[in-house]
Amino acid sequence: MSTTKDFIVEQLKQKISDFKSEVKESTVGKVTEVGDGIARISGLSDVMMSEMLEFKSAEGSVFGVALNLEEDSVGAIFLGEFTSIKEGDEVHSLKRILEVPVGEVMVGRVVDPLGVALDGKGNIEAEKFYPIEKIAPGVITRESVNEPVQTGIKAIDAMIPIGRGQRELIIGDRQIGKTAIAIDTIINQKGQNMKCIYVAIGQRESKIASIVAKLEEAGAMDYTTIVLAGASDLASLSYIAPYAGCAMGEYFLDKGLDALIIYDDLSKHATSYREISLLLRRPPGREAYPGDVFYLHSRLLERACKLNKDYGGGSITALPIIETQAGDVSAYIPTNVISITDGQIYLEPDLFYKGQRPAVNAGLSVSRVGSAAQIKAMKKVAGKMRLEAAQYRELEAFAQFGADLDDETKAKLERGKRLMEIFKQGQYAPVHVVNQTLIFFAATKGLLDDVPVEKISEFENGLNEYAKNNGDKILKEIGKIGELNEKLEKNMEKLVNDYKSTLN
Amino acid sequence: MKITPKQYAESLYQVIRGKEKKDTENAIVNFVNILIENNNVSKLDKIIEQFEKIWNKEERIVETEIISSEKLNSGVIKLLKDYIAKLSGAKNVIINEEKDKNILGGVVIKYEDRIIDGSLKTRIEDLKKSMVK
Repeated sequence: MSTTKDFIVEQLKQKISDFKSEVKESTVGKVTEVGDGIARISGLSDVMMSEMLEFKSAEGSVFGVALNLEEDSVGAIFLGEFTSIKEGDEVHSLKRILEVPVGEVMVGRVVDPLGVALDGKGNIEAEKFYPIEKIAPGVITRESVNEPVQTGIKAIDAMIPIGRGQRELIIGDRQIGKTAIAIDTIINQKGQNMKCIYVAIGQRESKIASIVAKLEEAGAMDYTTIVLAGASDLASLSYIAPYAGCAMGEYFLDKGLDALIIYDDLSKHATSYREISLLLRRPPGREAYPGDVFYLHSRLLERACKLNKDYGGGSITALPIIETQAGDVSAYIPTNVISITDGQIYLEPDLFYKGQRPAVNAGLSVSRVGSAAQIKAMKKVAGKMRLEAAQYRELEAFAQFGADLDDETKAKLERGKRLMEIFKQGQYAPVHVVNQTLIFFAATKGLLDDVPVEKISEFENGLNEYAKNNGDKILKEIGKIGELNEKLEKNMEKLVNDYKSTLN
Repeated sequence: MKITPKQYAESLYQVIRGKEKKDTENAIVNFVNILIENNNVSKLDKIIEQFEKIWNKEERIVETEIISSEKLNSGVIKLLKDYIAKLSGAKNVIINEEKDKNILGGVVIKYEDRIIDGSLKTRIEDLKKSMVK
């Protein structure tokens, strides 16, 4: 007993005698003005842009970030409770750019934009830290998008395919299912080797709580991180949240893995940046946004990429969300983000209230990456289907006049109605790509033409169930080779017809 | 065009640099007249503040604050003065002494926007940090 005691004492003695304290020269500043989440500081002559600052007050220290470097003052934002900071308090620069913890430990957690746990599951002991701002990967390191992200949403996977490394904007009015698309996509990533990061910017905490519960129920939290800057948090936290989320994604990118990041939503991000900018007295521009609001989003979304084999082959897919006001896509922020991204999914209120959910407007939605991000089987059936859907949209207006239509037009209309019915899909019910192929194959082959429109969804469910029990081999084969050959097509046709015969 | 306090201070310094006492007094009278003419008397406080900064910089004078737990003897102060002069490259060092029991021992030197923390309190905290690790 005494030997261990002696040992400990000995060790302590050793440590104390080895301890060397260096007297370091550091720079300090003084707070000259404080309020609204920002501070002005005099001194700190050698502070760097977006360097971390430590404000020392009587009640402990608060961290901040230097944003404005002026001739004789520094403008900074607080990253925490700043009520204890007074004029004249000391400010130290910490000589490092703002960083967040990254790594496997972040998976399955709900954190704030500084990487502090919010889910009550204990502290996060991260070994690695990444700076939140980073220059996007260059041309040499990239390759074109060629692998699909399966969203599990029929309308999107078939018509607006998203690839790994793509940036696809989800845009629409409030309460129209923008977040629902993102959450369904996360749920569908199970077993697809994808790490998901959901960045909530200025969202209601109750909404995030229900999302977390839903993801946990679906088993999706095993590969998901949630970065939350709530509606009651400081604007500075909302401002850094997407960059922090992106830094967490970059860890997986560097490991050669695939990451999916959802920014929900960037309109609120722009608003919080506007707040900070105006308080820092930067000149306002259009809609009172500062001049660099385009760069704010372009530098964030440019960090989404697909790296080539020489650089690990990882990818970051970004799904930014923008909320429009009364469907106005020509406002400042929506046009900016539309021009940055590789396509957009446009959700329309009219469709939503008609019961077409998800309310994807197939005409205005595009994916600039195109069918490179689809498996071959899907490409084959979707190509034809897309054409038929477009024809239907054109003819739909005609049909409303009740004009006399020839048989061919009637047939096209009937086919289109069935397609629209297939596009309808419940929330939290993603469909596997193979099942999607099957139903679109059946539709384009005309096998559904004799099924009543209102029975389509019932038929689809039944077909999937039947295929699971009786055609598992065919589905597995499509999934394996990812292509449709003549034999497979014949088998699929037989499968659908067999199922039909069981109905009568 | 609006003239900033800094510009006023800068020009005043240029005018009176190296002048005799009498010339300086005249210059200051003229300067105040200009301020009245431009309706800028309210900026006087800021101009004086800026002038002090410019004066100290150009004449290489450094104002220093030395915080210690006990009153320092003149020998130590002389040593510190030379040390600060060496660090900052100043010709003349003005020292303001301050007593603070909280730092326990050692000294804290503040000059310009720099701080050299050689206090016992900080060292004990550093030791604590390294032990906890």
